[in-house]
Amino acid sequence: MNRSTPDNKNELPRRGFFQLTLGWLAGAFAVAASAAGAVRFLVPNVLFEPSLRFKAGKPDDYPDGSVTFMEDERIFLVRQGNTFRCLSAICTHLGCTVNRADHGYHCPCHGSVFDEQGSVKSGPAPRGLEWFQVTLSKDKRLLLDKNQRVAADKYLVL
Amino acid sequence: MNAPLPKRIWQWFTRTRIGRSIFRIGLPESNLERSQVMVSSFLLHMQPAKVHRHSLRASYSLGLGLISLYLFLILIGTGVLLMFYYVPSTEKAYDIMKDLQYVVSAGLVIRNMHRWAAHLMVLFVLLHMCRVFYTGAYKRPREFNWVIGVGLFLLTLGLSFTGYLLPWDQLAFWAITVGTNIAGYAPVIGLKLKYLMLGGNVVGQEALTRFYALHVIVLPTVALLMLAVHLWRVRKDGGLSRPDEPGDIVQQIQLKQLPTNKTYGLMELARGTTPQVGKNPEDEVFAWPHLVFRELLLFLLVTAMVLFLAIFWNAPLEELANPIHPPNPAKAPWYFLGLQELVSYSAFWGGVVVPGLLVTALVLLPYIDRQRKGVGHWFARERVVANTIFSVCLVIAVVLTIIGTSFRGPNWGWVEPWKNAPAVTEGH
Repeated sequence: MNRSTPDNKNELPRRGFFQLTLGWLAGAFAVAASAAGAVRFLVPNVLFEPSLRFKAGKPDDYPDGSVTFMEDERIFLVRQGNTFRCLSAICTHLGCTVNRADHGYHCPCHGSVFDEQGSVKSGPAPRGLEWFQVTLSKDKRLLLDKNQRVAADKYLVL
Repeated sequence: MNAPLPKRIWQWFTRTRIGRSIFRIGLPESNLERSQVMVSSFLLHMQPAKVHRHSLRASYSLGLGLISLYLFLILIGTGVLLMFYYVPSTEKAYDIMKDLQYVVSAGLVIRNMHRWAAHLMVLFVLLHMCRVFYTGAYKRPREFNWVIGVGLFLLTLGLSFTGYLLPWDQLAFWAITVGTNIAGYAPVIGLKLKYLMLGGNVVGQEALTRFYALHVIVLPTVALLMLAVHLWRVRKDGGLSRPDEPGDIVQQIQLKQLPTNKTYGLMELARGTTPQVGKNPEDEVFAWPHLVFRELLLFLLVTAMVLFLAIFWNAPLEELANPIHPPNPAKAPWYFLGLQELVSYSAFWGGVVVPGLLVTALVLLPYIDRQRKGVGHWFARERVVANTIFSVCLVIAVVLTIIGTSFRGPNWGWVEPWKNAPAVTEGH
């Protein structure tokens, strides 16, 4: 029998109360806090990855009707007439780089096919390729921003 | 004294004061010493002094669990050797692979052994699981050991997967890109989990560092601990399953039901499932030499098999990882190609739901299928329903894997392997 049991058995004994709160709850808190700290430790605060906002060349560097693949940024720069658009080359399925095909884009990993608008024509991709914002920088170069997603019909018109 | 010379030297040594202080028992001469040698040796005491004849029958267990264990030991040995050269750096890792192939003495063979043993371990762990299923060996009292086994199977896959990134070649880079994106499809925590695994948004230096830490210390340590429990429980649950197990193997003494107003000796508290309880002595043989020498022979065969593969076939090493161009087709290692085939239909259903359900079903299996009949026989007639369900799943998995391996070409299109693969057309 517990030595600290008082006369009234229905009452939580004082010592038992302290054991419960200060002992078990503090122990549980310590374990939870350590676990949370360890997980937080593993989440990086600084990423050494390329900037998502970057400058491309001057508009005239890209001929009318061209689709230019930019390797490091993994995007396609699409020019039609005086309009410029920026299409993500990262397949929305599992992150492979899509290839330019005759009429659209093909993913080599699991066979997703996208049309010129980046919409899914066939394959397992859950949604179309992303379009990113294109603006003009002060020194008249194309400024691409992968943080800013836009609709497929949004152009930079020059 | 017509014993061979090495035996005589060993006998002399174990009779000296120093030899006796180390080994206690020399080569056993009597049945008493055959028992003592098992009990008094650290490496041997994991095993019983006497073992049931049924457990030695190669046609029952096929030695699959032991083979998996030996492959794991070979992987630890070769893996530690590789660690003396390897640096988990995106700039150095690939060059070190080339050094291992062309510069380091025996580097090629040791890397090959590590790769082939890893492939074989996935295969043999899977076969071991099939053996345990088809003989109904996961039933009471071995339910929880089956669950630990499922955990060890997943750890084996995790070890293979994390090891795949380390060479930093094309296969490594794209297999991990695809694999972590699959994790990203998990509900609620998916994207956070992917970020945590990669230490960022893309596969890069941080991901390599993390996978390295997981591969060389975290996962092997967890696997070793679980392996120790797995083996310990094989003994505690009465050795290998067999058809004529006495009833008291199944009966478990509930400690709570014992009166608490008396003092108990250890023997009274031990469960009635140790190998020595309730067995006919005539069915048992001494583990030394019958078990120990079979085990040593099998270890020799497994090592020879891995060495043979490593000498005649080189582990693949593709081009240096190129984050811009995935190879076409980009394929995961063979044991994930069934999964990749599923993922090519739907990443969420194929990559998360189906594997999740399969693992859940495997874990719950011994608690769902509680019928006691047909244990200890291959393909017992009483278990025809369970065996059929399992076989259908197995056949589907094998067919998906074969399709993913041989019937998928550029852009994951359907190709027939006996025809020439179409030329890859790529353009940007």
